[in-house]
Amino acid sequence: MNAAQAGGPDVGDAYLVARAQEGYVDAYELLVQRHSGMAYRVALRLTGNHHDAQDVAQEALIAAWESLNRFRAGASFSTWLYQIVTRRALNKVSRGQAASPLDLLPDMTDPADEPAERAERNFAVDAVTDALLALPFSQRAVIVLHHFEGLSYAEVAAATGSTEPAVRSHLFRARRALSKKLEEWREVATQ
Amino acid sequence: MNDPHPDGQSLLGAAVLPCGADVDLLLEQAAVGRGRVLDVHQRECVHCQAALGEFTALWAPVSELAATPVPAPPGLTAAVMSQIRTLVRDVWYTLEVTEIGAVRIAARIVAALARDSARMIPGVRVALGRSTEGKIAALAEKATFGHRHPNAAVGVLGRTAVVDLAVAVTYQDPVHEVARDIQRHVTATLRDQVGLRSVTVNVTVDDILDADDS
Repeated sequence: MNAAQAGGPDVGDAYLVARAQEGYVDAYELLVQRHSGMAYRVALRLTGNHHDAQDVAQEALIAAWESLNRFRAGASFSTWLYQIVTRRALNKVSRGQAASPLDLLPDMTDPADEPAERAERNFAVDAVTDALLALPFSQRAVIVLHHFEGLSYAEVAAATGSTEPAVRSHLFRARRALSKKLEEWREVATQ
Repeated sequence: MNDPHPDGQSLLGAAVLPCGADVDLLLEQAAVGRGRVLDVHQRECVHCQAALGEFTALWAPVSELAATPVPAPPGLTAAVMSQIRTLVRDVWYTLEVTEIGAVRIAARIVAALARDSARMIPGVRVALGRSTEGKIAALAEKATFGHRHPNAAVGVLGRTAVVDLAVAVTYQDPVHEVARDIQRHVTATLRDQVGLRSVTVNVTVDDILDADDS
């Protein structure tokens, strides 16, 4: 029997967060059941492989619990978790280097970290995955959070510790970069 | 529709189209799935129509990938909660000894069964294992002879258990009857599924939520 069948999740995140802050581990378990899918999905998009994604999701969910006392009443738990997952993913792809909030959206002149080698794929969706992973992390993050997860500019800014204008600028740059890579793939695929 | 770049040059190399339209804004329009929703200018402009058609086609696989479900690996929640529970409390066990050996069931299993059982009762919005305090703690300590962790939601000793549950119920449900139903159902569940003989279920209703309060 899962919690949904049992009627457990019939309360909002804010209620469960408040209870978890009071020490009810069960309340946090319901939050984990509710958000672990998102944590893994975002981690997978950002890291590009299952094992790293599983590590990132697990670490993020435990880190969120450990820092529940710093969670502000009225804030969105999911946005907060997006922030933790994104930062953990950045740490993972940066080989464990610590990240400050500004590191999530670094200077836009940073060079793209192109993969050394990329096999030609026949499927458009695979090409998108490859193209996404070829983007610098900051561009990948705003694409994933905005276009894949449906977060608003304000929510992406909150999740990346940035500002809405900066998010908008990075999205413009990221869309062009991703589109160029897809264009290249299309040219190769149609030859 | 006209070829957006008849000279072979990508639209992505330009900042604006010959009509003056901003390429980034057109790309954004297509990326959010509004490439076929044209404004007044775009309805008359072949440059904009061509660019939006090009960008919409380019972003179709992106939208497809974004819409593809990504199931979480099985066991992720269990792995997270296992680590957290290890951090917050010790594990205690029930104990049933027969001539063919001993059966021990972790107190956290008893707590989880009790919690899930309580959630089956109509009117219960959420049921949480409660950290026992005050008088109820004293009762639990006495009933289980001190064999419980101070922060555990359940105390067990042999085939005796004391379970503390905090629940929120839906407004206008008869609170007292819901609490009694929880006690009866949880007691039956623990007797049937864990083999406990003596079960005490303390229910604290400390929230009443509106039906639409989610």
